[in-house]
Amino acid sequence: MPLIAFLLLLVCYLVTGYGILFLFRLQLKGAYTVALSFLLGLAVASFLPFLLQLLFVGITPFSVFGSLALAAIAFSGPVLYHIRKQGFAAFRRSLPRPSFEVRPYEIPFFVIIGFFIFVSIWRGYYLPPTSRDALSGPEAIAQVAVSEHTLINSFFGIDLWTTNNQFKSPFLISLQVIYKLAGFPFGQVWLSIVFVSITVFIYHALRERLHPLFAGLLLLLFVMTPEMYAYTFMILYDYSNMIFFFLSLYFLFAWTGTGAANQFYFSGFLMGIATYIRSETLALALLFLPLILLVQRRRKMPPKQVAVAIALFLLPSLLGYYLPSQLYIKYYLPVHYDIGGLVNSDLTSLRPLFQRYGDIFTHLLTGEFAIHLWGYIFYVAAILFVAEAIVLRRFNREARNWLYAVVVLYIGLGALGWLLPMMNLNETTKRAMFKMLPLVLFYLANNELLIRFSRAISRWESTPGKWGFAGAPASPKAGKAASAPTRSVLTKSGKTTTKPATPPRKKK
Amino acid sequence: MKGLLLSVAALGVILLVLNFGYYQEWFRVKPLQYWSDFLKEKDDTAGEYAVKAQRYGISYTISMRVLDAIRKKNMTHAVILFEPNSYYRDSLHIYPNVHAPEPAVFYYYTGLEGVWTNSPNVNKANFLLRISRKGAALDTIRSPQHLQEILVRYKKYPPIL
Repeated sequence: MPLIAFLLLLVCYLVTGYGILFLFRLQLKGAYTVALSFLLGLAVASFLPFLLQLLFVGITPFSVFGSLALAAIAFSGPVLYHIRKQGFAAFRRSLPRPSFEVRPYEIPFFVIIGFFIFVSIWRGYYLPPTSRDALSGPEAIAQVAVSEHTLINSFFGIDLWTTNNQFKSPFLISLQVIYKLAGFPFGQVWLSIVFVSITVFIYHALRERLHPLFAGLLLLLFVMTPEMYAYTFMILYDYSNMIFFFLSLYFLFAWTGTGAANQFYFSGFLMGIATYIRSETLALALLFLPLILLVQRRRKMPPKQVAVAIALFLLPSLLGYYLPSQLYIKYYLPVHYDIGGLVNSDLTSLRPLFQRYGDIFTHLLTGEFAIHLWGYIFYVAAILFVAEAIVLRRFNREARNWLYAVVVLYIGLGALGWLLPMMNLNETTKRAMFKMLPLVLFYLANNELLIRFSRAISRWESTPGKWGFAGAPASPKAGKAASAPTRSVLTKSGKTTTKPATPPRKKK
Repeated sequence: MKGLLLSVAALGVILLVLNFGYYQEWFRVKPLQYWSDFLKEKDDTAGEYAVKAQRYGISYTISMRVLDAIRKKNMTHAVILFEPNSYYRDSLHIYPNVHAPEPAVFYYYTGLEGVWTNSPNVNKANFLLRISRKGAALDTIRSPQHLQEILVRYKKYPPIL
């Protein structure tokens, strides 16, 4: 029975998520569409029990699963209208075709990453939630909600002076309620959907830029991040927050290249989800406004249009902040939480701010503790960053964007730690640093040295040489991921420059 | 042939990563250990209680014993007073292996209300959970005076998580 419920929920997420992608008119490759649909559907699901509570509707299996079904129907409405208008055959043709071709050398990576995924799924299913932040707040509220049919339940009547976890986002509570009602006593299996979806998304995104060998290696380094891996089977906010924050930036940076408005607004929507999961993400979203303004200025957008676009970009984040952190806490919960009282009272003293920046660098980014948290991914990134800076002396636009995001996050987390002293270094800031991992990963995916090396491997792979089968034609698809529009040439002066792989056409 | 060479390279890279520095230790202690656990757990018929007891440790087991005791006593509104964890740390030297859960987590485990010695609701306490090296005991708090005597006894031990 729980398995059937799990599969039905998956279908529900897929339909809801696809409906959202359709609303934003995003035409993506099959793997991206499926992965994003699951993630978006799950994000919508995480809002529904909370919405029921806001509307004073009881949390029962009927209301929860009914609202999930209604959401799926509502979000698939435009798709159904489109099918009715264009015909099913035309709709089928418009669906992304699965075009994923597996090469033999990708299989070892699939096996090892599959192992990590399997172990994570099993632990998520078999073990109960463990982290103290979950047990002393969202998990307890969800458990009581199942029997008392309300998120505002007897948990709020007990002695809660040792914790503030009851005031955190309803994201976790809602998903735990759904899966407990579906027959999973520990809930938590939804986390596996998040983990698998983002792993698929990231691998495809890396593979578009790099040779599968590098894509597999980078994904392995990402999955083998010790601290983050634990949160792929242990419910808390930061892993899910990281994913939606990263996806938001992924589409924002895509917009900086294409200028497609739907990518821009979709990015704002994803940032809204990230803010709903962790309210302080709103501050980070604001730090990306300079980049947005710069791009809009270069495109010579009129000021009124700029203002409207930015307002629409920030609107989901403002809602994602206001609904759980202001409306719900102030007007629904029986106990109140003065967020203003948590702000640092001595803002004139900047020493703690610089101390926090120093601590993040020396404690969380470098040193033995950092290796125990993140493995060596930051060291790999630092080495390749320095190599790119020295050898090429420039960074491409995508790399610059991701580096900008890394700097913004570093500045933002330091400032948040200074503004809100309860954001301690070893717990809150440490987990907030999850967000830096995909940013660093996608900087590496756009590192020009890795890209050139990828192209070199692809060229070697696609040309029949002494290592190839005699007379065997080279696969036209080999090296497609990093096909070689340019080739690197070492000049006499020792500099590496790029030249077109094919001779340029003569100008008429 | 090139595909084969790249497959060997992929395998080599994976083995290199798995055996490099801290990754080697982490892989052995965490994912490989989790795999061994899975091999045992997949045939396990343990129920929810047993899995929780294994995962949450002695604090959960003690909490469930308290629940059993309260059920046997047929108490309608039991409020359990916990000894401070600093008492277990500084006096009994059994912390952190043995520690009292915080009230919110105790409620999650048992559905019962618990308080610490410095809780605003401490006056509602009608049972004291005492833990020692020999075991745990649930004492009835007979009167407000008795409660005050208990609180004085633990005054020098501030509650900690």
